[in-house]
Amino acid sequence: MATSLEQYVNMVQTMSTSGNLTQLYDFINKSAEMLAKNASHLDNMFATLDVQQASLGILGILCVKYSHPNIPDLETTLVQTTEFFSKCNGEHVRFATDNYAELCQKFAQALIDRKMYARGIAPLIEAIQKIQLHPAQLTSIHGSLCQLCLLAKNMKPALRFLDIDITEISREGGRLDAKDYLLYYYYGGMIYTALKNYERALYFFEIAVTTPSVAVSHIMMEAYKKFTLVSLILHGKIILLPKYTPQVLQRYIRPLCQPYMSLAAVYSHNSLAELRSTVTEHTDVFNRDNNMGLVKQCMTSLIKKNIQRLTKTFLTLSLADMANRVQLSGPKEAEKYVLHMIEDGEIFATINQKDGMVRFHDNPEKYNSPNMLLEVDKEMQLCIQLDAKLREMDRDIAVNPQFVQKSSGTHEDDLPVTSKRCLSDNMLE
Amino acid sequence: MAAAATIDYQQLSLDLEKQELENGNSPCTATQYSQLLALYLLQCDLCNAKFLWKRIPQNVKQGCAELSNIWSIGQKMWLKDYTGTYEALQRDWSDDVKGIMTSLQDSVRDRALRLVRLAYSSIGAEDFATFVGMPVDKAIQAAQSEGWEVDLQSRIITPLKLEPPPAPTIMSEQHLSVLTDYVTFMEN
Repeated sequence: MATSLEQYVNMVQTMSTSGNLTQLYDFINKSAEMLAKNASHLDNMFATLDVQQASLGILGILCVKYSHPNIPDLETTLVQTTEFFSKCNGEHVRFATDNYAELCQKFAQALIDRKMYARGIAPLIEAIQKIQLHPAQLTSIHGSLCQLCLLAKNMKPALRFLDIDITEISREGGRLDAKDYLLYYYYGGMIYTALKNYERALYFFEIAVTTPSVAVSHIMMEAYKKFTLVSLILHGKIILLPKYTPQVLQRYIRPLCQPYMSLAAVYSHNSLAELRSTVTEHTDVFNRDNNMGLVKQCMTSLIKKNIQRLTKTFLTLSLADMANRVQLSGPKEAEKYVLHMIEDGEIFATINQKDGMVRFHDNPEKYNSPNMLLEVDKEMQLCIQLDAKLREMDRDIAVNPQFVQKSSGTHEDDLPVTSKRCLSDNMLE
Repeated sequence: MAAAATIDYQQLSLDLEKQELENGNSPCTATQYSQLLALYLLQCDLCNAKFLWKRIPQNVKQGCAELSNIWSIGQKMWLKDYTGTYEALQRDWSDDVKGIMTSLQDSVRDRALRLVRLAYSSIGAEDFATFVGMPVDKAIQAAQSEGWEVDLQSRIITPLKLEPPPAPTIMSEQHLSVLTDYVTFMEN
């Protein structure tokens, strides 16, 4: 028994130093069973191997430790994993992205099962940075990190990843599937919603619901519910989804979100009383989906939207009149809303307390200042970068052997069909 | 001097955040939590303050009364209740957060002043006093020192509008090269 373990250690050490990493990866995968049988010696082996020099070997050992149904001596294992993430050699572990991702996922799951959320955030941040080829690459670890951040109620650490737009997905040896992708965008949307960055939240939910699919995913359905609410809060209506939105959404998901659809329909009537009664009618559903907080914000946003509509009709309006039109309790409350909206830059107005009037202004932005130019410049730069990125990706696909084979392959497929037709034509003659 | 102090605070909050992550599951000390909470309030980052309050373990909260005092300011700020905010600020703070609290009071007052300037063409002296958290006579004095018109008879204050800050100028050469970039981009 001991000899096979010794052999493992030796193989790992020699192959790591000689740089035979692909072979080592195969060897370690084959050794998993042997390691599992010798579970009691794993800690000894962990101590023998150097984390930096023999990262792949350590990774193999840790994966085996986590595959145990109830991890023995969990505390040591967690400490070992944390140490591994901070010290391992990024170049080496990239030869085993699938095992690496599995380790991260199991590590996160072990922490979640034991409600030790905060502990996983720092190690996973390090884990992502180690394995990423560039910051815009999505890994399956991203989703786990977001989940831990949400559970630990500590959103800020995730932002450094969320704020970067993803342009590439790490394949992780075919391990990364649609679920990881959807979860990342769903959790990411939730984090942005929690921090009231609704623009970005809406964008994340939109990505989640426009993911190409033919089957109903629960993640997509929940994302669509939150998409609806955030869209109402931000724009006062459900924004149009792009053309590439999958059919499933229209056909199956929407009917499943009936309370949300009726909420949006009532919202468009601009009547606060009607909205309130719809909300009361569906309170159970909203509570069960944990969306009540967002629903309540929809109600506030309707009041604000109604005040905004007044600015289109009136130049000046008394506070009492405004309270009447927007169905508020009185001039004091109306003043409060107007004040908050001015503070947040949602309307342009001045309050005159002397005669209790509000005077609405046009948007003071005349789009002719150097500031605006800088703003436009920033947007232009973004567009230029995006364009360059798109070209680059397009070129990558065009020279991808698989793609070339497939597109030329269809030609070959065509040939027999035409020859068959020739044959039948001949026969007809 | 003031600028140096704000940079320090920013660095301090980053350090505290990092420390919290490194601590993992073992909670930070009450001092660290109260400083971070106060700093979030100073940065007007109420969302993060709220989540920090939610994740502070129960026993730490019970062990340190100052923490809940700080959060009571946060609650008032969330509701944009100026009177409540100033009231909650009036406490004897421990040395850990004293400096932050003084800056916080100043920044709240600054924000309120800016808001009044922006939102009111005329405002009653009593309402103005609640915004800046001063007794009415003092508030009137403050308004006068800002150069605002105060009608003592009707106790109505007329705030002066601020001139928009001068826009940053762009070097014309730099401007030209940017425009060249655009044209080359559009034509391709």
